[in-house]
Amino acid sequence: MCADLVKTICPFCGVGCGMCLKINEQGQLLSVEPQQNHPISQGKLCEKGWSTPYAINTNERITQPLKRINKKFYPISWQEALTTIACELTSIIDESGSQTVGIISSARASNEDNYAAQKFARAVLKTNNIDHCARICHSPTVAGLKQSLGSGAMTNSAKDIFDTDLILVFGADPTENHSILGGHIMQAHAQGTELIVVDPRVTRLAKLTSMHLQLKLGSNIALINALLHVIIKEQWFDKNFISSRTQGFEQLALHVKDITPESVESITGVSAELIRTTARAYSQAKRAMIFYGMGITQYVSGTNNVISLANLALSCGHIGKVGTGVNPLRGQNNVQGACDMGCLPNVFPGYQGVAELESQEKFSNAWGAKIAQQPGLTSLGMTKAAQSGDFHALLLFGEDPVVTDPDQNHVKSSLKNLDLLVVAELTMTETAKLADIILPAASFAEKDGTFTNCERRVQKVNQALAPRGEAKGDWQWLQALAKQMGSQLLNWQNSEEVFNEMASLTPDYQAMTYQKISDNSGLQWPCTFDAPEGTSILHQQSFPIGRARFICVNHVDIDEPIDDLFPLLLTTNRLHFHYGCGSMTRKSPLLERETPPGLLFINPIDAQALDITHQAPVSIKSRRGYVETRAMLSDDVPVGLVAMPYHFKEAPSNQLTNTAQDPVTKMPELKACAVAVTPLAKGQPPKTIQQLQGEQ
Amino acid sequence: MEIYLLDNLDLLQQHLLIQHQLYQVIEDDNGQCSWQQQTKEGNAPLIAKLPQSSAKDFFFAEHENLLIFNGEYFQETLPKPAPFVLFGALSCDLTAISYQDKFFKDDPYYQARRQHCLLVGLDCVRPCQQGFCPTVDAGPGVREQSADIILHPLENQQWLVITTSDKGSEAVKGLALSVAHWHLLTQRDLVLHQCEQDFPDNTYITQAIDKLNSGEIKDSFWQQLAVQCLGCSGCTTLCPTCSCYSTRSITVESEQKKVIKQQRFWDSCLYEGFQREASFHNPSSDAGKRVQRFWHHKFGNEFFTEFNRHGCVGCGRCEQTCPGVIGIHSVMKRINSDA
Ligand code: SF4
Ligand code: SF4
Ligand code: SF4
Repeated sequence: MCADLVKTICPFCGVGCGMCLKINEQGQLLSVEPQQNHPISQGKLCEKGWSTPYAINTNERITQPLKRINKKFYPISWQEALTTIACELTSIIDESGSQTVGIISSARASNEDNYAAQKFARAVLKTNNIDHCARICHSPTVAGLKQSLGSGAMTNSAKDIFDTDLILVFGADPTENHSILGGHIMQAHAQGTELIVVDPRVTRLAKLTSMHLQLKLGSNIALINALLHVIIKEQWFDKNFISSRTQGFEQLALHVKDITPESVESITGVSAELIRTTARAYSQAKRAMIFYGMGITQYVSGTNNVISLANLALSCGHIGKVGTGVNPLRGQNNVQGACDMGCLPNVFPGYQGVAELESQEKFSNAWGAKIAQQPGLTSLGMTKAAQSGDFHALLLFGEDPVVTDPDQNHVKSSLKNLDLLVVAELTMTETAKLADIILPAASFAEKDGTFTNCERRVQKVNQALAPRGEAKGDWQWLQALAKQMGSQLLNWQNSEEVFNEMASLTPDYQAMTYQKISDNSGLQWPCTFDAPEGTSILHQQSFPIGRARFICVNHVDIDEPIDDLFPLLLTTNRLHFHYGCGSMTRKSPLLERETPPGLLFINPIDAQALDITHQAPVSIKSRRGYVETRAMLSDDVPVGLVAMPYHFKEAPSNQLTNTAQDPVTKMPELKACAVAVTPLAKGQPPKTIQQLQGEQ
Repeated sequence: MEIYLLDNLDLLQQHLLIQHQLYQVIEDDNGQCSWQQQTKEGNAPLIAKLPQSSAKDFFFAEHENLLIFNGEYFQETLPKPAPFVLFGALSCDLTAISYQDKFFKDDPYYQARRQHCLLVGLDCVRPCQQGFCPTVDAGPGVREQSADIILHPLENQQWLVITTSDKGSEAVKGLALSVAHWHLLTQRDLVLHQCEQDFPDNTYITQAIDKLNSGEIKDSFWQQLAVQCLGCSGCTTLCPTCSCYSTRSITVESEQKKVIKQQRFWDSCLYEGFQREASFHNPSSDAGKRVQRFWHHKFGNEFFTEFNRHGCVGCGRCEQTCPGVIGIHSVMKRINSDA
């Protein structure tokens, strides 16, 4: 029977739904229920949220530190683990310098854990080599919106969905990836809010609206420029807003002057007429809200895609008001927080520049320590440097780059090249298998802390269970490791102390305390002494950069078009049953059953031409790799395009994806590459990548 | 049936606590209502609020081991709960328990818990937000067959205590209760009748039920509706009458021995994989079929005949929890307008 009900926040996605954990008399997690009056989720959860107990209660949890000797892992004591790691780190730093070690923290971990990780890197290891997985999700958002608006976060709030006239969903599949927000959009649409969906695939939302712009992969900028062309030509823009709040409009007008809807029909595959209707609807709506996702960011043109969405919103004055804005849908539960905490090589907490002398002094004074000055490496930079032998030790938690990073083979060989790889995890992952030392991590239900959701809401996570076995929270083991290395810099007594130190150094979190966060069901930053109740809408009076900037951008072709050898385009997508690398959600027998291990969506017409039947085994080959899986015939993908979810370690799509990068953020082009698909012999089950590569 | 008057409910709670563990619905600061165990030391006031999770997991556990084989022999897994009382269960949830009693008639795990439970029902004298129990004959007054004891609040802070079963009579033995005049029962009827009148007009539900059973609704309607089903399992998890489950075996291997457990867990008929067979054949691979099946289970005539009532008790939980906006009220309205 349920003896205790602990309020906390769902650990899966950036929506940050409120859930209660039901605990029995023996202190075990029985099940969950939604928080009835949570400001966002209002008594709802998606299937991932409902399946939380399976992720935590699994028998496969790692419960003590493990040391790898050859291919086998042996249990060791925490003391031995810490001594080994500390010795190795110290000797590597002594020999090769601090720039050869680094940390990859986690968008799944709490703000407190992330704050501790970057402080450990900067003040103990003395390196700015600190990053997390946002690199492969939304770094173009941060880079793009920063240039256009001055801040890289969602401008508005989830509740605005019910307070707008038109919702434009661009390259995002919210009912699968941010289900509860997706549900809000369905509800608003059912109640009369106009809905426009721009996506190469027929997503669930696309099925619910008559306005679906099924554009070709990678043609976002061409489409948006044509929309701007129409809006400017027809004088549908917001003159007052443009003259009082922005700069650069004339150049933009000139830039798109010749980009007529007709001129982009063939690049985008969208009819000129539909472009015109969309331009009118968006610009003439009293309030219109843009949501976008990885269909915008995961391209070589990622940063520019984001910039052009900002151009669109700015031109119509759809920003800084209720029911408007440019709203990135960020993947993991705390990806916003991990960025806010400065788990990025170029910024301290609160986006204070590592290169700026003033910030360097601020942090070195506050911490009472010398800190790293040299610029740091991104996660991709670290793996590259490891490959070439210039990087020797990596501490990594809550991430599985071997499955989620582009170009899996490259990641694997570079991680193998390290002298020391430490991975803190809940369960064994593909990356953890390569570690020298594995540390048992505490799950979200086993610790106190905060997560920051996609609408900048900082919410309290409350400990409901004792850590499994010898598991420790991330900041706790970082603290122990710092002590072992002779540093007292991480000596907090509890999570609240970590939070308070962070808040005192992070302007946007200035006026937050645990008590206030709990009392208000979360606080949205900026929460400063001037705005102690938090801020639900950004940029109401001015932009952090004063005037917002229109920036001219051009269409860029995808890096790898199709050819005779690789005649189909592959894009990646997510299924709402699974999350990230699947290491948590795949522990649920219910969600695991929903989809076979790996699949490829293919249009029936392409399938027929290739003699492929529903559920038939197929092989997929690109210039970089080869995988086998099963075909799923579906009209949701257009002819010429195939789509593959990336959750499956048996058939990881990143064996195939392109490593060409966005020049600004190094974001790889995960959304498009050329492949060849062939049927396998009937009755021959697809081999897993592990079998193909000759491992167990 | 006996009827008594009680001035102080605390006396009844304390009396029941002597021989039972007592659970009651508690509301926290944020308005979250849930069943919580009460002790002799502190009894929260009784509230007529529907808890987010119904009482079904008191009997039909969310996960339970049906069999444990420890390498040498099978271990007994039948639960042996201490006697307990659900104090102040509302009529819709009690009706759902009666419904599940039938469904799990021969299930030893369910029955082991059910037999140790005393049900004390509480009349609703005001409609709740999403509920429509009168439309489906499940409230607002507690039905005699669905509880052992019924509590009815009287205007002067007094309580009417009605015992409706031997178990109920047995449970109040030894408690100093004054016998009440029968006219208080009439007064109760009037209050409940008034409460029924206060519910919003729910004829669209009745009309939709008729339409649903007329065979007129096209497959395309269900398909369109099912685009909105995210397969979250929220409705089936919170619905007090849903009882889908699956089983799996879990093997825990240590150096000394291998333990195999056969575990049963709550499932959802709205998951695509619920009926899929190993060959990939699936009689309900179409989401429209799954959503249709769910509502047929709640309102189809065949089920009415089998259980002598609708499978829906009108609690309204599915409306609140469905992220796809296809809970009871939304679906019934759409059946009327679009089907
Ligand atoms: S929408 Fe996101 S936060 Fe909400 S329940 Fe689903 S995974 Fe959790
Ligand atoms: S179908 Fe909905 S309203 Fe009816 S009993 Fe189930 S949860 Fe309650
Ligand atoms: S609650 Fe709604 S979305 Fe979830 S399974 Fe039920 S009908 Fe589908």
